[in-house]
Amino acid sequence: MYQVLMYDGGVYRVKELYELIEDIGGFVIQKTQIQVQIIITFAIPEEDRPIIERKTRELGGKLAEVPLAGTEIVVVGPTLGRHHMPHPICDIAENLRRYGAITVVMGLARGRGKHTAQISADEKAIIEEYDAAVFVVGNFRECVEKHKFKLWQDIQIPVVATCGPEFDSLPACDALVCGIGRKVERMRRAEEIQKLDEVAEKVQSLIEMKRKDTDDDPLYVHPAEIKDRLDSMQAIQDNLRPAPVVLHVNGVRAKLPFEQYAAAIADLEVYGRKLGEVTTISPSRMPGSILIRIKTRSQVESEDRAKQTQSATAKT
Amino acid sequence: MEIEVQGTDQKGAEDYALLFEHILLEMGLTNVLDKVLLLVQPADPLFVVSVRMRPTAGARPIYEVVQLDDKEGGVMLSITDETFAPRVLALLWKTFGRDRVEQLTRYEIFVAGKNRSDLWDLKIDPEEELRAQVLDAIWKLVPEGLKIRHSFNSENVMTIANTEHGFQPDWLDAAEKVHHSMEAS
Repeated sequence: MYQVLMYDGGVYRVKELYELIEDIGGFVIQKTQIQVQIIITFAIPEEDRPIIERKTRELGGKLAEVPLAGTEIVVVGPTLGRHHMPHPICDIAENLRRYGAITVVMGLARGRGKHTAQISADEKAIIEEYDAAVFVVGNFRECVEKHKFKLWQDIQIPVVATCGPEFDSLPACDALVCGIGRKVERMRRAEEIQKLDEVAEKVQSLIEMKRKDTDDDPLYVHPAEIKDRLDSMQAIQDNLRPAPVVLHVNGVRAKLPFEQYAAAIADLEVYGRKLGEVTTISPSRMPGSILIRIKTRSQVESEDRAKQTQSATAKT
Repeated sequence: MEIEVQGTDQKGAEDYALLFEHILLEMGLTNVLDKVLLLVQPADPLFVVSVRMRPTAGARPIYEVVQLDDKEGGVMLSITDETFAPRVLALLWKTFGRDRVEQLTRYEIFVAGKNRSDLWDLKIDPEEELRAQVLDAIWKLVPEGLKIRHSFNSENVMTIANTEHGFQPDWLDAAEKVHHSMEAS
């Protein structure tokens, strides 16, 4: 089982850490260098953590657990207008990044209002590409409980709803954080930071449930291993977009055009198999991105059996 | 500044009162308003914002903030109070047109084809600009989906009623009542 950790330290001798991660069979997920400081998110086999801890002490860095590393979360607001942006939507997204997630902020085309609030099929499909969604709605009790919940009621991924008024529960969401609502200034007071942490913890518990589900029927390969193979592609190395490969709980998003690179990605090898055989590769709704969903071991085995039966029947 | 809230969702209205305070603080307008009244009925939906402005210092004659000198072909203005510079320029553009007005330096403006007496009666009114800023603060506050608006204006009080689809007659009556109560208080 892989564990995702974050190293925060200086660039001096950091290559030794990269080599150690590689030697123990780990992967670097993300590197962010700010002058002489560097933050590295990486996945390593759980049992080798003490080795990394020793090296971190030696280099004078800090090691932190990042529970949401390896996930991509979407924070959805009614619109991208000044009523909802940048606060509190960006504050929530920023705090999720501190927990290790890659976040995306999204505004709906017609999410504002009461009777007029709606979400399109395209918007739902985009949201469902992510591991979890956080919906941010407003302050009026009647509006939230009778109308706004319709925005997330058909979403097929875990949803955390945030709103101003206090509710025990709201329909169709997996978790609820009340007491946020509309903001016109940065959420920096102690009670507001506590709310932001509450959102991150709710997202974390939903992601953990999703990971447990995955453990029951494990993926054929860990997403970090696919990232490792993708990183060897020249097109990814030349890619100027931030985080050209993003890990999901059950797959990977590669920021390359589907038409040009789908075949090359399907042809990559992982554990003696073509990537196209053990994953589903499809175009993302976000232009210029490819979604790679990893098949489970049982799914790959059953497909193999079906192929063998088919070829045996063809021979006879 | 006093903020009063009325309506069917007390908590929601109080949140919006706090939001308005923050908006005004951010825009530096807390001293401009004397009283604010919010009438909030989310079930309709009806959202009424009524503000009573503090009396401003009043219009100032232009010769109090600029020095006027007749020159060949026009009049030269030397701004003595720089805080009024943008407003003086805007007033001259509005009165004489952009072709006649030339800004020579930061504090010197030349108006072609005019003399001192032509400019002597001009007045700079800060209230208009403040009203525009207060309106901007109100647009920031009003929920984004409530696009149908009706306004009531009097000398010191502005009341804006907002809804989503269309006003029922009694909603506008309620908004007008709020407007009159703000005028009377």
